[in-house]
Amino acid sequence: MIDPQTIDPRGAVVQRRLAGVGRIAAFCSAKGGVGKTLCTAVAGLALAGQGKKVGILDLDFQGSTAHVFLGVPPRFPEEEKGLLPLAVTDGLCLMSAAAFAGNRALALRGPEVSDAILELLAVTQWGRLDLLLIDMPPGIGEEVLDLGRLIPRMEALVVSTPSTASTAVVERLIAFLAEMRIVVAGVIANMVRGDAGHVRDMARKFQVPFAGEVEYDSGIESAIGFPARLAGSRTAASLLAALHAADLTRETGREG
Amino acid sequence: MHEWALADAVIEATSSALAGRKPSCLRAVTVTVGELQAIDHEIFSFALSTLLEERPFRTAVFHLETEPARFLCGACEKEWSLSETRDLSDQTREAIHFLPEAAHAFIRCPFCSSPDYRVQKGRGVSIASLTLDASESCA
Repeated sequence: MIDPQTIDPRGAVVQRRLAGVGRIAAFCSAKGGVGKTLCTAVAGLALAGQGKKVGILDLDFQGSTAHVFLGVPPRFPEEEKGLLPLAVTDGLCLMSAAAFAGNRALALRGPEVSDAILELLAVTQWGRLDLLLIDMPPGIGEEVLDLGRLIPRMEALVVSTPSTASTAVVERLIAFLAEMRIVVAGVIANMVRGDAGHVRDMARKFQVPFAGEVEYDSGIESAIGFPARLAGSRTAASLLAALHAADLTRETGREG
Repeated sequence: MHEWALADAVIEATSSALAGRKPSCLRAVTVTVGELQAIDHEIFSFALSTLLEERPFRTAVFHLETEPARFLCGACEKEWSLSETRDLSDQTREAIHFLPEAAHAFIRCPFCSSPDYRVQKGRGVSIASLTLDASESCA
């Protein structure tokens, strides 16, 4: 009898579920309100517009809004030996807890967050993707710890506004990612109205790539929910340039 | 049928747990199935037996045991079961089936209506035990 403790089987298939995915990048920031979800959603649309196959995994359970940006009403995924991500546009798909919880508050404690992450990773059938973009919640918590362990090849795209209030907190995240051995593919300065020097200096200080600036776009609010308008925005062009600079559009060998 | 993905995980985790042992010595696996997730036992069993055919421990028998769900309210500290939960529509049950944590969006304490509670037992799928052949050749 092997009965050391109950075995949670889900972790055993996470790598296999992601075997057809080329690169995996998490948009993260220790600070809330810096535009992680906007960057994730628009980057996904921009890449899909370039002919890439892209998936978005929204792990911001308490504030999931990737579906709102992408104009995808919450609905149950189709099933095919697992759950199929929701189709957004040609080449872009989405998995979000909002598909199940709808617009209701989903207040989870730490272990429940870990359970939900593991469940989604174990049952989502992503198929073949060039990139999987993960929309992380603000903060440095379960999501960073769990993903660092479950997806060791995941890279981070750190988002900060030029505000010192943002960079002061984001610095902690970059230092923590280094401890977790999560590669920072690039730092993106978002909502830039003038000088993004703070963010550039921060990247230099931690010796991580500065991927570029996304100027504050007053027209982006009216494009939320309209994928074509988001994909055609200045923000999309800037994010595409940032992803190139972070070397995330380069093909790497898939495992499967 | 997302039961297949969970069955796949059980088979893969069983294989990993057998590392260093003869896979053909596995006789039985007890799988705990949480009441909250409400997976379809028939589909799950069929998926297990189908996926098992490709494995060196294909003769092992998988036993499914349902674990009743128990909730503990953080506000009034009362415990309750799934059957005591009010008015779960088919749509809600389906949402929880796909992602058990979605329960927190729908279920409230039946005593004080608080959303502050924990699922103590009966969440989802886990492997409770693996039984190996006790013969000397399997030692």
